[in-house]
Amino acid sequence: MAEQPPIPPPAAAAPPQPPRKVVLPPHRERAHRPWRVRAEEWVRRNLFASPGQTLLTFASLALVGLVIAGAVWFVFFQANWRVITVNRWLLFAGGFPLDEKWRLWLSVALVFPLIGAAYGMWASLGRRDLLFIALAGAFVFFLTAHGDAGPSSSVWFAASLALFFLGYRVCRFVPRETGRPRTLAVRTLAALLALALPLVLIVLMVGGGAQASQFGGFMLNLILAPVGIVGGLLLAVPLALGRASSLRAISWTCTAYIEVIRGAPLIGWLFVALFILEDVISSPLIVRTMIVLAVFTAAYVAEYIRGGLQSLPRGQGEAGHAVGLSHLQTLQVIVLPQALRVSIPPIVGQAIGLWKDTALISIILPLRELVGNSRAAIAQAEFIPDRIEVYAFAAVLFWIVAFMMSRISQRMERAQGVGER
Amino acid sequence: MRLVMLGLAALLSLMLLAACGGGDGDGQAGGGNAPESVLRDVIDRGVLHCGVKGSQPGFSYLEPDGTFTGFDVEFCKAIAAAVLEDADAVEYLSVASASRFELLAAQEIDVLIRTTTVTAERDAGRGVDFAPTTFYTGQSFAVHADSGIFSTADMDGITICVQSATTTEQNLDDLFAELGYSYVPLGGEDQENQDAFIAGRCDAWTGDQSNLASRISQLPNAADFRVINEIISKEPLAPGVLDYDNAWKDVITWVVYGLINAEELGVTQSNVAAWSEDPPNTAVARLLGVPFEGGEVADLGFDVDPQFIQRALRAVGNYGEIYERTVARVGIARAGTLNALYTEGGIIYAPPYR
Repeated sequence: MAEQPPIPPPAAAAPPQPPRKVVLPPHRERAHRPWRVRAEEWVRRNLFASPGQTLLTFASLALVGLVIAGAVWFVFFQANWRVITVNRWLLFAGGFPLDEKWRLWLSVALVFPLIGAAYGMWASLGRRDLLFIALAGAFVFFLTAHGDAGPSSSVWFAASLALFFLGYRVCRFVPRETGRPRTLAVRTLAALLALALPLVLIVLMVGGGAQASQFGGFMLNLILAPVGIVGGLLLAVPLALGRASSLRAISWTCTAYIEVIRGAPLIGWLFVALFILEDVISSPLIVRTMIVLAVFTAAYVAEYIRGGLQSLPRGQGEAGHAVGLSHLQTLQVIVLPQALRVSIPPIVGQAIGLWKDTALISIILPLRELVGNSRAAIAQAEFIPDRIEVYAFAAVLFWIVAFMMSRISQRMERAQGVGER
Repeated sequence: MRLVMLGLAALLSLMLLAACGGGDGDGQAGGGNAPESVLRDVIDRGVLHCGVKGSQPGFSYLEPDGTFTGFDVEFCKAIAAAVLEDADAVEYLSVASASRFELLAAQEIDVLIRTTTVTAERDAGRGVDFAPTTFYTGQSFAVHADSGIFSTADMDGITICVQSATTTEQNLDDLFAELGYSYVPLGGEDQENQDAFIAGRCDAWTGDQSNLASRISQLPNAADFRVINEIISKEPLAPGVLDYDNAWKDVITWVVYGLINAEELGVTQSNVAAWSEDPPNTAVARLLGVPFEGGEVADLGFDVDPQFIQRALRAVGNYGEIYERTVARVGIARAGTLNALYTEGGIIYAPPYR
């Protein structure tokens, strides 16, 4: 109470501005009225315009209130979250040798800075992103700090988060405008991102680590989905180009591939991974599953890319040829970049779909991803009544990743100017 | 450029996975046509691939640290100990009921121990051979403790929660047609039925007696419910192996019989080491594969050495010990049920090991 802050001069002290005579359109005119009046008018017009609408408003409010109250009651009073804290390891990595936990954390610490760098390169962290990171981070800290996980998990996670922000900061120094330094930086980052998965697998497996058959829990979803998405994208580009080819043999083959794969549900193809692919490629089931996921995704993505190709005016390719570019060069620098840009939204939709489809895997295959291990957790005698908690937790985990994918895609769309050019 | 990089990376990771995964000898491309025993595959591989359910209280589920446990899992361990001299040399696969027999046929699993009921159709038409039954259960009913229902005779006109489109529902239909009773079915999945029953929306809830008992025993208000002492169908659960593989089936059959014989003879996990040094009688000596008072070790002609049952016993104990350690813990009592020894009123009985 030592010093009072200086009192700002009262607003009235300012010399009154003579109101300028500007004729505003009606909607701008309203903006000059105090917010309370405007809010009141908005409420009356949108919520209570007629008796029917009033009824609907109250009914909706009651419904929303009921749902929220029920959810709050469940989350804070009714649920037994011990089933999650006790089974944390089972749900996240169940099957992975517990002694090799450091390998998982090392992988996280490797991937986090790359994600941060990608953010820094193509977007900036807005307030909403930070809020999301804070919430998700608090969630993970709650899990790592709880029970017998020991301090090491929290330290690993804190370090990974710090590396995320470090990667972000470093890439903020890269100039925004197109040019040689940016191109170099983008290529380096793309190469690092591409090497991330092999690197993670080396960390997890080499030198007395886990075997592929020991991968399980949420970690397995996190490994399978990116392989399916990236592999599918890579397969899809030649498929889309092939389908548009003027050579009948090629276009028919590609069309047949797309139609056959899209003609059966993923569950059917998972059976193929189990029983038929074994005779073609003798490999562990997890590899065959990855192949099926990539092959399945490719058929859909190829069609999105074909749509992108067809949306380009013919002149684009012709212009490329006119300035003396070869067919391949035209594709590489003119046609594909534009076609892929247009296809981003549906491709991301497919990616999110595949991400959630990984939950199907344990229904058919003896691979224990998150949902499979959730079922195992509620078979523990102590937790038989707690299945809603486990499935809700799994849903939240799936949502976190799906939401992140959707946010990143929005950023990419904005950065690439989808729908603007 | 970026695409090429991504492609290279994807290829690299697939190759890496294939290389590392191949290390445990998973590939079986050559083994499909040869009439070679799975026993040989398992010994060569050094790991038993055991197909379990992975989500059934008491029978097979995962501990928080990711290890498998339960009644079925104990038998996987016993087989691994018998054949591979290491109870932990097991890779457990959580097998869906929809693909369990196909997985066996594709040799993705060596043995199926997944609360699988023995039926004629499965034995004759599915290419499966069954080892001896390890657990007898049957369809029964859970009712509210304060209801006047004590047997199926008291069930005329009541509402019953039953899983729709299952043999459970067929059994129920057959029974009520036979009794000339009517009932109102309330169909749903296992979990939904449990909820509906607890909420009082049905008077009885039907399913495998062991499953009903274990689920009810874990409820906070378990005392409000009881399972009636009547069984309306036969559900013998047994390990399954591929048809036409006697060497392998013999070993599994006699691991199961051996654990039962051990209980009859009083061999336990705690006395097996001492009795292997100094067996009290010839029957125990034969079972453990050791000489009795300076005699010869009996070789009965199995494709594994004569001490395989001894190793299984050291790893998991006898049948009764397995039962107490697993299913008894989730409220499935043994005394007075079919799963008691034949000497105690049950039908758990093993042919002599000689």
